[in-house]
Amino acid sequence: MSPGNTFAAELRKAATLPASGVAAAVALLGSSLVTVLNSVSARVALDAGRAEPGSLTSPFELGYAAVPLGTVGAVVLGVTVMSSEYTANSADAGGGRQITATLAASPHRLRLLLAKALTVVLAVAATAAVTIPVCVLIARLVVGDAAPETVGPQEMLHRFLGAALYWTLTGLIAFAVTVFTRSGIVPLVLLTVNSSLVSFSLLLTNVTPLAHWLPDMAGRRLFGGLGTVEGGLDTVPGAIVMAVWTAGLLAVAAAVFARRDA
Amino acid sequence: MITIEQLTKRRGGRLVLDGVGFEARPGRVTAFLGPNGAGKSSTLRVLLGLDRADGGTALVGGRPYRSLRDPLRTVGSMLDGSGAHRSRTARAHVAWVARSNGIPRGRVGEVLERVGLADAGRRRVGRYSLGMGQRLGLAAALLGEPEALVLDEPVNGLDPEGIRWMRGLLRGHADAGGTVLLSSHLMGEVAGIADDLVVIAGGRIAARGTLDEVTAGHPSLEDAFFSLTGAAGPGGAGGAEEAGR
Repeated sequence: MSPGNTFAAELRKAATLPASGVAAAVALLGSSLVTVLNSVSARVALDAGRAEPGSLTSPFELGYAAVPLGTVGAVVLGVTVMSSEYTANSADAGGGRQITATLAASPHRLRLLLAKALTVVLAVAATAAVTIPVCVLIARLVVGDAAPETVGPQEMLHRFLGAALYWTLTGLIAFAVTVFTRSGIVPLVLLTVNSSLVSFSLLLTNVTPLAHWLPDMAGRRLFGGLGTVEGGLDTVPGAIVMAVWTAGLLAVAAAVFARRDA
Repeated sequence: MITIEQLTKRRGGRLVLDGVGFEARPGRVTAFLGPNGAGKSSTLRVLLGLDRADGGTALVGGRPYRSLRDPLRTVGSMLDGSGAHRSRTARAHVAWVARSNGIPRGRVGEVLERVGLADAGRRRVGRYSLGMGQRLGLAAALLGEPEALVLDEPVNGLDPEGIRWMRGLLRGHADAGGTVLLSSHLMGEVAGIADDLVVIAGGRIAARGTLDEVTAGHPSLEDAFFSLTGAAGPGGAGGAEEAGR
């Protein structure tokens, strides 16, 4: 069980798990759909000459606006890489769990967890590398020449990397939390709702400014340029705080995983 | 060669293993017998590095499982059925297991063929029967051509033909010089194949020795089992007393 073999096996596991495909599809298709809706309504408004001043009309902004929602896909990827180990097989087939086979094949626990974390990073980064350009391309196709591009290539690259980093860190946080819970249900529901419908951390900022230091609030300026709430940390310090949260959670997850019975 | 010595394990304050010790030797099939909850699975889980013992040692070829490099080339195991995720195909399952231990891809088809799943290899494991799951688990266990096989209730869910096939396979492995350790709570399945018996009850070893040694003084293996384990059955006396014989 060289580190390379363990990693290659984990990659293969993630690639052949239907849930990973669903997660990537949620990110890609969900974000694309939102982009189509946003772009079409922007195009209609532009053509009618009633685009409001300050509204998002540049193709990049329109495509990029759907990207924060794609975080849900990163959450699902992070969760399923771990929760699939603990899913019980059907009772007819003995009800066993994959973690038994995994640990028999790769008994070095820290190496295994590291291989899984790297798998999450690679899967999320690959999903981001496809999804974000696709969203921007869709917006460009729909809006066409109706609105000028106001975002320069340099800024586009920065914001693409920022979003990819935010997704990746969120995927790793979801992964670490699932190491604790073993079941995917709680982290999936909590983190999906937090990334899409209601941000609990955002609500908490009304109670205490300390909530700006929570990982998702700290990292939110990685989606540069998008309208977000005032206050809190700047982009770089925020990204560092989010990364520290991620590293801390992974370290605790590793300590727990190395010690506990399978 | 599997060597277990003075193994103790507590779970939630309860002593589930209390000084468990025995050997499984090369060239022999060792059956690990006991009623449900006696400590069979707990012992095997510690042996395979899944759970931690509170005391004692469990070694394969003189080394703890967790220290083995490419463990599947030394020990093939099956616990709780196949261990395959229900939404994966059998072929995909065996393929990642092979990859994890650097076992050539060609072995995947070979072992699926060997256990009779060549035609069902592209079906999702969640739709397998219990017996097919056992065959798949065995396929993964055989992947690395290991010296030792450690199997928890391997004949569970197999039909009579499957049981016969499993016995032949395990016998062949031992006859070729390999070590076979299998657990069971069903004596009938074991009587026809085991060379050595280890009987566990209430987390303690009640008896160990060759089949003849353990059954000496009892009309049948079944009688010996009930007598030794104190399980409900004819002559269900306390196990500790019998263990002294």
